[in-house]
Amino acid sequence: MESEFLPVFLFLALATLLSVGMLVTGRLFGPRRTSAVKEMPYESGMDPVHDTRRRFDVKFHLVAIAFLVFDVELLFLYPWAVAARPDAAAVRGIDGAVQAGLIADRWLVFCGVIAFLFLLLLGFVYDWRKGVFRWR
Amino acid sequence: MTGLIVAVIKIAILVGGLMTAAAYFVLLERKVAAWVQDRRGPNRVGLPLTRIRLFGLGQPLADGLKFLFKEEYVPRHVDRLLFTLAPIVILTSALAIFAVIPFGSVLPIETGIAGVETPIQMIVAPGMDVGLIYVFALSSIAVYGVILGGWSSNNKYGYLGALRSSAQMIAYELPLGLAILGVVLASGSLRLGAIIGQQAETGVWFAVVQPLGFVVFVVAAFAEAARLPFDLPECEQELIGGYHTEYSGMRLIMFLIAEFLHMITASFLIVILFLGGWHFWGLTGTDAASATWSQAILRIVVLMVKIFAVIFFFMLVRWSWPRFRFDQLMALAWKVMLPLGLVNLLAVAILSEPAISDRLGTHNVVVFAVCSWAVAIVAWIATAMAQPLIADNRPRGEGSAEWSPGRGVKE
Repeated sequence: MESEFLPVFLFLALATLLSVGMLVTGRLFGPRRTSAVKEMPYESGMDPVHDTRRRFDVKFHLVAIAFLVFDVELLFLYPWAVAARPDAAAVRGIDGAVQAGLIADRWLVFCGVIAFLFLLLLGFVYDWRKGVFRWR
Repeated sequence: MTGLIVAVIKIAILVGGLMTAAAYFVLLERKVAAWVQDRRGPNRVGLPLTRIRLFGLGQPLADGLKFLFKEEYVPRHVDRLLFTLAPIVILTSALAIFAVIPFGSVLPIETGIAGVETPIQMIVAPGMDVGLIYVFALSSIAVYGVILGGWSSNNKYGYLGALRSSAQMIAYELPLGLAILGVVLASGSLRLGAIIGQQAETGVWFAVVQPLGFVVFVVAAFAEAARLPFDLPECEQELIGGYHTEYSGMRLIMFLIAEFLHMITASFLIVILFLGGWHFWGLTGTDAASATWSQAILRIVVLMVKIFAVIFFFMLVRWSWPRFRFDQLMALAWKVMLPLGLVNLLAVAILSEPAISDRLGTHNVVVFAVCSWAVAIVAWIATAMAQPLIADNRPRGEGSAEWSPGRGVKE
């Protein structure tokens, strides 16, 4: 099987092997002398006050949601970006689809993308007005 | 089968080169730091058991050996499985990105063996059509490594570092993606090799015709690599190293190597997407599919020189800018870089649409470049006017919600 993805999987496997191998060599050569102080969380020499895993600020959550929305919208733009080149991609791109009669006009696609970007912009402005990007 | 062997050879060369490069870039970084601060830097370690110093070239080897023989303890308060998994995830993803990144052009070797492509392409997975998407996917997995490390450490510094890092990386992925979309639109391919080929063929680098996208991409790449103006995930002075506070020995060096690999990846991407990759006018030829021996070697040299220059720039920036505050960082991502990226994408889309470009004449490269430079300058001035030059840095007291800075900070 000479798939185009085979080298990639090979690379992933070898990189994992290398990382695991580094961990193992570290285990083999390093000394181990544990002590009560080493077992403590390192917090600049202070005794740790409470458990770390507490509730954290909701700002991070808002950023994550905003990211999800915009990133997925951006992903939709990739197929268009690849297909939109006028000359070279005439075989499979938008021009090819126009020639095959699948789309009436190049303009239709272009206006569609502009409308899409406008909607994205609308969401962006809404988020901005709602103060999602205000960090305080 | 022979194709697999070729792939393994390429991977071996690439991984060996990358590990060596990461080790010696640490030395270079220390040397540059010393040069900037008017010190000498590491210059002692040379050949062992002699007095030969070799300008400190033995330092990375000595450092590696030292890390190997350091104790690698796993404190009892950590989540053992995730604690072990984190460095594996981050180093694997940092290395595996290079499967789709070309480290040269082609080598004109006629092996005559069936199954080996001629000329040999200097990229591990030459058939991969979705190169840029793959790069994106793996750089997002690196965030997982950071979060796993910080969360499983059960340490407040690590935890804060992981939170900051995740917020920062996802925030800057959007401008990064927008800047890349401009390049994809102009080149019509997600393959990094084809993007270089496009720039070589026309002889115009994308940094020249899309200056705004270039600026947005460079800033976002700095943030993704967590280099100094944006190194909040691991700032030593505040977070003692952030997410890798609890790590030691080989696990720590895996995190550090991954960090340097991120920087190398970022400079590869900057060079390949915007600075023409291996192309240089009059030196390297313009045909991506074939090359003579001299051209092939010159292409590798040109690519490496460019990457070296970008990395040197990374290192100089480290000593030139102070670190951003976290609210400034987020404001820069969401309120400056994202709109600028959108403006760039819109400008490229409109200028390269055939019906419009016929009327404006922007199918001509010069007209296109002039138009996009005008867009970039206008956007830059608009940003500068919207953001006051003097930012109010006074600490915000109690009830900061009502605190209004007058003409100072705009929301």
